[in-house]
Amino acid sequence: MEKIKVEICLGTACFVMGGADLQDLSDIIPLKFGEKVEVLGNTCLDLCSTEYGKAPFVKVNDFIIEKATKDKVIAKINEILSTQEK
Amino acid sequence: MFIDIDCSQQKKYNQNAYGDYFTSKRYPETGRLVAVLSDGLGSGIKANILACMTATMLLKFLEEGSSIKKACETIMNSLPVCQVRKISYSTFSAIDSDEDGNVKIVEEGNPQFLWIRNGEILEPKFEVITSKEFPNRHMHIYHIKLEANDRLVFCSDGVTQAALGSKDLKLGLRREGLIEFVKKELLREPDISSSKLSKHIVKYAISKELDRKPKDDVSAVCVYYREPRKSIVFTGPPYHQDKDKYYAKAFIEFDGKKAISGGTTANLISRELSIPIKANVNYNIGKLPAISYMEGIDLVTEGILTLTRTYEYLESGEYKDDAAGDLMKFLLDTDCINFMVGAKLNQAHYDPNLPIEIEIRKNIIKKISDILQNKYYKKVTIQYM
Repeated sequence: MEKIKVEICLGTACFVMGGADLQDLSDIIPLKFGEKVEVLGNTCLDLCSTEYGKAPFVKVNDFIIEKATKDKVIAKINEILSTQEK
Repeated sequence: MFIDIDCSQQKKYNQNAYGDYFTSKRYPETGRLVAVLSDGLGSGIKANILACMTATMLLKFLEEGSSIKKACETIMNSLPVCQVRKISYSTFSAIDSDEDGNVKIVEEGNPQFLWIRNGEILEPKFEVITSKEFPNRHMHIYHIKLEANDRLVFCSDGVTQAALGSKDLKLGLRREGLIEFVKKELLREPDISSSKLSKHIVKYAISKELDRKPKDDVSAVCVYYREPRKSIVFTGPPYHQDKDKYYAKAFIEFDGKKAISGGTTANLISRELSIPIKANVNYNIGKLPAISYMEGIDLVTEGILTLTRTYEYLESGEYKDDAAGDLMKFLLDTDCINFMVGAKLNQAHYDPNLPIEIEIRKNIIKKISDILQNKYYKKVTIQYM
């Protein structure tokens, strides 16, 4: 099974709009999902300039989560894992 | 060539103000640098005011285009005499130099400066001008030509008279003691910066005093004439996107240390030059986004937040171990800093919902540039794209 890739935007707007807290995911996700999910940082996903006012952004595989929270990201990972298991 | 200049000072024991004053100004367009070290009579607030007035007036004269000889002569003739001690209110050393190594120095009352080449002291010729008004005042005028790696050391009498009257140094450290110390330091660390050397001189002079309590204000100004260490900081995407490749290429081909400050900017360089970015998500000290890594680039940071924090660090002189601390060290480690500043605005940064005030990039770069020039004596150029 291919690893799920979680990319957290660390650009200015995302960082101040909550991206700083999202970095905790790098500790939470390995504990919760083990090797199934990989957490990466991204210098800037370049999404805030197009989708104005919806930072912070997290990319889970190809799916973009706007106004991302830890719960939203974990829910999306669960959703992807459940479809993979079916 | 670059003129690395810095000053270190210590107050007289039990005083709450410095009685010596140092000021300097660099002109990046012409490569000229003027600096003045003045020692006010006595100590504390009175000395501080006298030294500050002398140094700033002299610097202003030089800035306005007066010749160093004329400016110093005017100051020498106009300095009042202390009614109690019957000596002049302050002494000074003035330096006017260019990047070709031509230096004009005028001393009035301060200890004679040291000129060091290849570890040896050179004794330059000087012209003496005596004040028409005050026959006991003499100005020494030097015209010297520096060569690469030459050093100059200026100091107040707090250095040469350190430990005066003590058992070991009855006449104080004197010029000979200072020469011996500076020679040893240069032998130990030939590339020592002016900042470090001036700090070491002051520390050494104080160490000679009884109980390490200086009896006078202690100042040392060091000049190091050497090859410049250059750096470039690319921040913000260019206004015209079709110029991205051109600027990315100019950045990577720069001969010196390189830093990128900005997520979008890092993406731009990565895209145009095919250099992958390795972002770090696990390292979040000081509530700033962590640094990233790109091959061939010395430092990659987030933009506005890091720059704003870097400015705060430069202002206070203290830093934390975070991305802004790394950027501050990067900037202070070089002499000539070039900023490539993209003029494109990121609308998302101006969202009123953002919980903190975010500076306009141009403004924060201007503030950083001013503090680097005025406080850290760096040569800064800004290119807007």
